[in-house]
Amino acid sequence: MFAKLKKKIAEEAAVAPRPGGAARIPRSVSRESITSVGADSGDDFASDGSSSREDISSQLFRRNEQIRKLEVKLSDYADQIRNLQKIKEKLENALEKHQDSSMRKFQEQNEAHQASRAKMAEGMALALEKKDKEWMEKLGQVEKEKKMLQTQLQEMREQSLNLFQKRDEIDELEGFQQQEIAKVKHMLLKKEESLSRAEQELEARAQELTHARAELQEARSESSGLRKDLQDLQQQFLELQAHRDELMTAETNAENKITALELREQELQTVIQQLSVDLQNMTFEFAERDKLTEQLQEKVSSLENKLERNLSGDEHVQELIKEVITQLKSTDLFIVSHNLSITSGLQSEMSSRETVSVEIAKALEETRKQREELQQQTKWIRNSHLMCSTDTKQVSLFPDHEAALLQVHQLQLDIEASQSQAVEKEETARKEIDELKLQVQECLLESTRALNNEHFPSPENSVVEQNGEVAAADVIQLQKDNRELEQQVAEKNKMIKQLQQRMAELKKTLQKELKIRPDSEVLELRANSEVPNASVTVTNNSDLNDSREINFEYLKHVVLKFMSCRESEAFHLIKAVSVLLNFSQEEENMLKETLEYKMSWFGSKPSPKGSIRPSISSPRTLWP
Amino acid sequence: MFLLKYLFQAHFSEGYLPYLAVRGAVSSTVQTGGFFSTIFSSLFGTREMRILILGLDGAGKTTILYRLQVGEVVTTIPTIGFNVETVTYKNLKFQVWDLGGQTSIRPYWRCYYSNTDAVIYVVDSCDRDRIGTSKSELVAMLEEEELKKAILVVFANKQDMEQAMTPTEMANALGLPALKDRKWQIFKTSATKGTGLDEAMEWLVEALKSRQ
Repeated sequence: MFAKLKKKIAEEAAVAPRPGGAARIPRSVSRESITSVGADSGDDFASDGSSSREDISSQLFRRNEQIRKLEVKLSDYADQIRNLQKIKEKLENALEKHQDSSMRKFQEQNEAHQASRAKMAEGMALALEKKDKEWMEKLGQVEKEKKMLQTQLQEMREQSLNLFQKRDEIDELEGFQQQEIAKVKHMLLKKEESLSRAEQELEARAQELTHARAELQEARSESSGLRKDLQDLQQQFLELQAHRDELMTAETNAENKITALELREQELQTVIQQLSVDLQNMTFEFAERDKLTEQLQEKVSSLENKLERNLSGDEHVQELIKEVITQLKSTDLFIVSHNLSITSGLQSEMSSRETVSVEIAKALEETRKQREELQQQTKWIRNSHLMCSTDTKQVSLFPDHEAALLQVHQLQLDIEASQSQAVEKEETARKEIDELKLQVQECLLESTRALNNEHFPSPENSVVEQNGEVAAADVIQLQKDNRELEQQVAEKNKMIKQLQQRMAELKKTLQKELKIRPDSEVLELRANSEVPNASVTVTNNSDLNDSREINFEYLKHVVLKFMSCRESEAFHLIKAVSVLLNFSQEEENMLKETLEYKMSWFGSKPSPKGSIRPSISSPRTLWP
Repeated sequence: MFLLKYLFQAHFSEGYLPYLAVRGAVSSTVQTGGFFSTIFSSLFGTREMRILILGLDGAGKTTILYRLQVGEVVTTIPTIGFNVETVTYKNLKFQVWDLGGQTSIRPYWRCYYSNTDAVIYVVDSCDRDRIGTSKSELVAMLEEEELKKAILVVFANKQDMEQAMTPTEMANALGLPALKDRKWQIFKTSATKGTGLDEAMEWLVEALKSRQ
């Protein structure tokens, strides 16, 4: 502060004594003045650029005046500086004095302070020691307390741990309890459900029970009804048994009758045998008589010869002849009468046998009627049995009924057996009757033949003979026809077999030809070419318009290839596809254009034409 | 160079030509792909030749096709439709069509005639009975307008058999000497033995090149 002031003062002092005087002006003040003066003068100079000499002189004058003024001011300033220097010196003196005094005071105070400080330090040390002791004691106490507290803390921690454990356990227990409660609840719900189900079932059972009771009652009523039925059936069964017994008796009667008939037959046979014996005797007699007649005829012839020779004595001879003739006539009459008697006896026997056979037939008819009745009864029994069986199936409570059924069954079996026996017996009886009839016929034939040998055959016998011969011839013819027919059938069977074999062969050949079709074609073509100058068919330019001729396999192949091959190859296939599928020219061209579009990378897609155009009424316009 | 060509051709035939090549080479006035393909084929000279293999059934067409393609004898069944394979021979690509020769499907041959460069007509040298049929089919085929410019190669096939006819015999039987305005040749071949096929194909390649 003071140094700066001093410097300023020194500078001013150095400037002031300069002879220029106004040339240099102290900075702080002079600059302002200079600038201000400069500004003024500048203005003047500017205005006075083209001023006269007078102006310059006046200016100079003015400047001189200004310089004088400045000098005066300078001197004033110098005075002021001197005064200031004086003041400064005074102040410096005062300052030095003051500094000295203050230094002294300071030293004194410092000493006092140090003394007091020492005292204070001593006191403080004493106090500190006391306090230390106190604090040490307190610390000891505190440490003890701390230990106590630590022990307590540990205990507390242990307790808390225990508590935590207990809490966890409690939590777990609570969890278990909750789970168990949930389980119990679940169980309860299930139990309730099952209870409801059981109740429902119970209700259903109860309903079923009521149903069952009702059914039981119905069944009981039914069973009572069935019992009644059973009783009825048993009664019927008893009746049927009675019927059966009756029938059995009838059967036995029939059998007895049959045996009686058989006996009669045997008797008849014996009679027939006797008759045959008689017939043989008769034939012997006939033979003898024939011989006699022959002898007589010879005699007659010899006599006639004699008569021819001896025409004279004829009358005697003629008498002889007459006698002979009468004798012959008498013998003939005898024979005829004998024959008539025999035939009458035979006829009577025949009639008796016919009556017997009629009786047998009647007996047979009776047995037939009985059998029919039995059949009807059995049918009826079967129906009733079926009824019973249905009833028994429904209830199946009656073993008695089953036993009855079994009995019925047995009865049926018995009836059937008896029926079969009856049928057999009938058949045997019929056979026997047929045999008898045949025998009778044979006897008749024999008798007629014997009679035929005689000269005077009875008209009846000749008729019988003709009939017999005719029947025999018929039989032989029929047999021949039969054989012929059988032969024809055998031949036809053979024919059928041969035809079947041919069929099989033809089938085989057909299959072979089908399998080796191209070969067969070759064969055909060869066959064609064997004919000289035959029209060789050119196929590769034949008409393709007939769409029915299209080989489907070929079409399939071409289309597949068309779709799968390269575009450059597909282009060559357009024609084939068009021909195969009967495309129009327009459609073919469209295909070509489309493929060209696909093959190239320029141009626009050709618009669809023909049948592949979208089926819309108005042609689609491009977007504007 | 060849590989590049091949790749380019492959891409082209599949329709995948790189777009930049198109921009560079072709003016935008070109519209149709057909014209395009002619340009490219003329550029590279490797247009696929279209060849038909025709003949009666059982002549050995399918066997010949696969002999040409894979060089092996395959077991064949009667061709109900056709077989088409791409065969490369001497850097020349052939799209070979083997059409079934059964009588019922012979009429469909003419669906395939258009744009055909050559016809391989296969005849069974042992089938004396059907040589007449074969001749009439051949004559009828050659009368078609679409095949006017096609080269005819006759394969007298099955020459490995003992009773086989000679090529001259067969040429006369088929009436080949009477053909006018037609480039034709007959070769004796055996598809199963593989003989004669190379000579025939060589002649065909030369004929196709000279025609261009």
